[in-house]
Amino acid sequence: MKRNKKAQASYYAMIAPGMIWLILFNCVPMVGVVMAFENFNPSKGFFGSKWIGLDNFKYLFSLNDAKQVIVNTLIIAIAKMILLIVVPLVFALLLNEVRYKGFKRTIQTIVYMPHFMSWVVLASIVLTMLGYDGLVNHVRGMFGTEPVIFMSDASFFRKMVIITDVWKEYGYNAVVYLAALTGTDPGLYEAAAIDGASRWKRAWHITLPCIRPTIVLLSVLGLGSILNAGFDQIFNMYNPLVYSTSDILDTWVYRIGLINLQYSLATTAGLFKSIVSFILIIVSYALAYKFADYRIF
Amino acid sequence: MIENKSIGSRIFDKFNIVLMIFIGLLSLYPLWYALCLSFSSQYAVNAGLVMFYPVGFNLESYKVIMSDSGFFQSFWISVERTFLGVVITMVMLVMMGYPLSKTTREFRMRNVLMWLVMFCMLFNGGTIPWYIVMKKYGLINSIWGLVLGGGLPVFNLILLINFFRSLPAELEEAAIMDGGNPWQILFRIVLPCAKPVLATVVLFVAVGHWNDYFQGLVLATEEKYYPLQTYIKQFVVNISQTTGLSAEQISSISNLNNKSLNAAKVFISMIPMLIVYPFLQKYFVNGIMLGSVKG
Amino acid sequence: MRKLKKAACLLTTAALVMSLVGCGSGDSGSGSSSSSSSSSNESDSSSAELGESVSYTGDPAFAKFDEPVDVHIGMWSYAADDSLPEGDSVDNNQYTRYLKENYNINVIVDWTAEVGSNYREKVSLAIASDTLPDAVVANDMTYIKKAYDADLLYDMTNIWEKYASKQVKGIIESGSGRAMNSVTFDGRIYGLPGAGLRGDSINTLIVRQDWLDKYGLDAPKTLDDIEHIARVFKEEKPAGDATIPILGPGKGGALYTSFLGTTNWYFAFTPIFNACDAYPGYWIDNGDGTATYGSISENMKVALQRLNSWYEEGLIDPELGTRDNSYDPLNSGQVGMTFGCWSMMGYSSYQSMVDDPEADWQCYPIYDDNGKWNSSGADPFASAIIVNKNVSEDVAHALMIMYNACCRDEQYFDVSVNFDWYPLRLVISAYDEVEYEYQELYKVLNGETTAEDYSDPNLIYKLMYADAQKIRDVIVDYEPGTEIERKNISMDNLGDFMRYYSCLISARPVGKYTVDKEVESVTYVLTDTMEQRWSNLKTMEDEVMLKIILGQESIDAFDQFVADWKAQGGDMITEEVEALIE
Repeated sequence: MKRNKKAQASYYAMIAPGMIWLILFNCVPMVGVVMAFENFNPSKGFFGSKWIGLDNFKYLFSLNDAKQVIVNTLIIAIAKMILLIVVPLVFALLLNEVRYKGFKRTIQTIVYMPHFMSWVVLASIVLTMLGYDGLVNHVRGMFGTEPVIFMSDASFFRKMVIITDVWKEYGYNAVVYLAALTGTDPGLYEAAAIDGASRWKRAWHITLPCIRPTIVLLSVLGLGSILNAGFDQIFNMYNPLVYSTSDILDTWVYRIGLINLQYSLATTAGLFKSIVSFILIIVSYALAYKFADYRIF
Repeated sequence: MIENKSIGSRIFDKFNIVLMIFIGLLSLYPLWYALCLSFSSQYAVNAGLVMFYPVGFNLESYKVIMSDSGFFQSFWISVERTFLGVVITMVMLVMMGYPLSKTTREFRMRNVLMWLVMFCMLFNGGTIPWYIVMKKYGLINSIWGLVLGGGLPVFNLILLINFFRSLPAELEEAAIMDGGNPWQILFRIVLPCAKPVLATVVLFVAVGHWNDYFQGLVLATEEKYYPLQTYIKQFVVNISQTTGLSAEQISSISNLNNKSLNAAKVFISMIPMLIVYPFLQKYFVNGIMLGSVKG
Repeated sequence: MRKLKKAACLLTTAALVMSLVGCGSGDSGSGSSSSSSSSSNESDSSSAELGESVSYTGDPAFAKFDEPVDVHIGMWSYAADDSLPEGDSVDNNQYTRYLKENYNINVIVDWTAEVGSNYREKVSLAIASDTLPDAVVANDMTYIKKAYDADLLYDMTNIWEKYASKQVKGIIESGSGRAMNSVTFDGRIYGLPGAGLRGDSINTLIVRQDWLDKYGLDAPKTLDDIEHIARVFKEEKPAGDATIPILGPGKGGALYTSFLGTTNWYFAFTPIFNACDAYPGYWIDNGDGTATYGSISENMKVALQRLNSWYEEGLIDPELGTRDNSYDPLNSGQVGMTFGCWSMMGYSSYQSMVDDPEADWQCYPIYDDNGKWNSSGADPFASAIIVNKNVSEDVAHALMIMYNACCRDEQYFDVSVNFDWYPLRLVISAYDEVEYEYQELYKVLNGETTAEDYSDPNLIYKLMYADAQKIRDVIVDYEPGTEIERKNISMDNLGDFMRYYSCLISARPVGKYTVDKEVESVTYVLTDTMEQRWSNLKTMEDEVMLKIILGQESIDAFDQFVADWKAQGGDMITEEVEALIE
């Protein structure tokens, strides 16, 4: 196996620069997680601060805020994850039924566009549209409905966060599905059409099975970011009135850490998030492997 | 394709087109809205008069931007950063992705390294230690801080790995028979087939670098080192918390909130991405698909 | 762009400043009580006892170092400000050159960040990573306390005693020394505090006088009056359908003043609560050794119910608490009434008056049912310079000089270059400056005094002389004995308009009337438990109050809130606060 040994060396050489990068910029800053077990004092540093074990975790879970924040994070993230699998799929199936190529392509390009806009920007646009004299109330007014203050309504806000994020990102996932759809064998459709299968049946029995691996991949990758409910988006849109439904781990960590300077508590919450994500990734990896015979990475 | 045009089917087609147009407009609206704001008068914007077209049309905002050297300085930093970021990241990702796409039999440490990578993706110490480390490395105000500081984009690595794995094994086997080493295989055989996924990842990395503002904020000590999004973010501020500030400071912040001007900045900041996207799109569409389907 | 010009008789070049400071005024200034010019020009190289430190000449409070002293600072920046001349920058402008030429202080700016949240983040990060520059302005008390707890701060006690000018000592004294509390720990001074004005903390109603006149309405005195006026505004719609009778705080804004920083709470409903004899956000001394947090007192309910009824009736901005930017409707002339202190109309928000020559904003105190004017009290703290523990004594000394000069020479600078470009600029003002200026400027106008009566360079009312010199140019068509109206103030120079509008019109409530009941907070600083719990409690408080006003929660939620608040640390904190009562 001389050849294999040589190949091994090449593989190591290839992977080395990336690994160095990873270690320097991902791993080294990770020493900061020790703050989660300390009462961190900046002048004493990461290794000189007082070690207090799991006290930060105990305190974290004793806070009503923290519990609420974790629940919010889960609700928002899971809703986003599911919708970002289903909505683009439905959209892609519908768009696939359109036969004008130019039109199809144009729509495909357009729906991807919001993905390029950062939330810093989009947030203010969305807020204006949903404002008291914004577009949405304007349209409602045409039907004689009284204007509504959307932004002070906590339960609405959470839905809004989910919907606008789906709206921004579904174009990307849809493109992935569409790509998978273009790859399906036209012969299958023809055969089905000859057999008299309706469009609905064709979609169900041919199209869906063809893109199943794509669905699995997107789902699994989604699980890994289950606790990323979208810092940029929420941070740029929320207000204290909707904290109860929309304050998420990341925004909370930011406020606690960088604004209130409770570094240790913030790090603890961050670490908690990482641990949960890691467990979820392991579980989903195992599930995908076992049930779909699919290795994600 | 043979179609039996039932009435229901035709109605569905019409309805579908209308629906697609509607969805398209929904996606286009914010961009259009930003454009309208940027051409509208400050008064009309503040009074909430702008909906579907510019009110009080003027080019004032664009004139102001044209004379704003800071904006173009930041624009250039972002261009530079995105370019370097894409090139370096792509080289590293490709070189990492290829060995990691091998089985453990072919590359023994594969699983260990893969899990290490995953671990690094999910765990981090937060902003403070990251900042301290970057300072130690001397990457404050450095373009390299922006280029490298974000670390390895693991998500993109996974896409690459999946793509490489999906390539037919025969491709490589032939090359191995001819005595090619992994470097040759990677660069001569695998990469030419990988254009689609490369285009995809390029776009992701580019958008990531272009849209990031937080790194710029933490790493730059002065406005002249800001990348574009950080520069723009300065103008989109929350002025609710006024205590602790002097009256002059409050006044100054409230002046920042020129929505029409901000919209113009935002619009200009999107142009590069809007230009690049159609070029990459034709590769892109195939790219993710292949990356996701195991061969 | 607007130019900030508020000092009268500007010596428009920095060179003139130099010559002035260079010759006569080596004096260290003195309190208003004593006007003896002290120790001027007694040049000495008195730093002999300091060993290796740099020698200097002149009055220690305004000494010129023999060798350049480098001072590294973090500074805010202003993206929207273009008052710096071409080629100047944050570390090279008339103020830094002035410091270099007069005191041989080299200001080196380590970093800048946009004033507001970006700046706060930078300071926070500098504290957290132990990378504070030599000095930085912290505008949040939490940061000062945190930095002190982490042992990052330089003990400025000796420096203050040795090198503070008499003028700044006088100014701190004018607020009974309370400005020092925010930086004093265990009796030692760990920073150089800004000294805010009482006027910045006394909030009143601000109303469109021209609208009142249009509908023949009297100036409001009570909550009922406000309610009546708001109804008229709502009916008559002077600004069209977009008319907002009462504008309140927007997204993330506070409903009322807090004991942690009492100054410049624009748009907050503090006067409404005060008129109901409630003092939310303050720790009230009950007089029997116990303390109550004002936000949980029974009177709150009265005020909250009132605000709620106004909101439901459509008298208050429907987007209360969620509006992206409260300045938008204000500047575009849609607003009839709002709330704030003397600096709000004029200094801070003048756009509606620029756009609409008729717009005339007037400020009125709100009285309670017994005809008394109640107000939450004032604390002079606004922000403070914190100094890195590792600086040399020279740098600390240099910082003290910069602080002294910031106070003394503001009136001599050409403030068409925004004075906030002065390195580590703080508001250092006599506690009663607003009241004093209001009264004295009227005296000047009525011919009772002349500008020269205020020429004493040691006067703690540091802008008075300049204001008095310029007043005749800015105030036009004034008839002695009457009150200044908007039309009396010339708009030729926007900076002057802003200054005099604030000083003579917005300042009228504090300048002319007396607050009948001014309620002080037991403490204006954080206690130990607060450091950990306060942000959570405060978040809960803000949410409940706003929800009650918006009608999302009934008033019963208030009692539930009080119970929760107490249980989640409020009681513990109350005990700590009670321990502070002597």
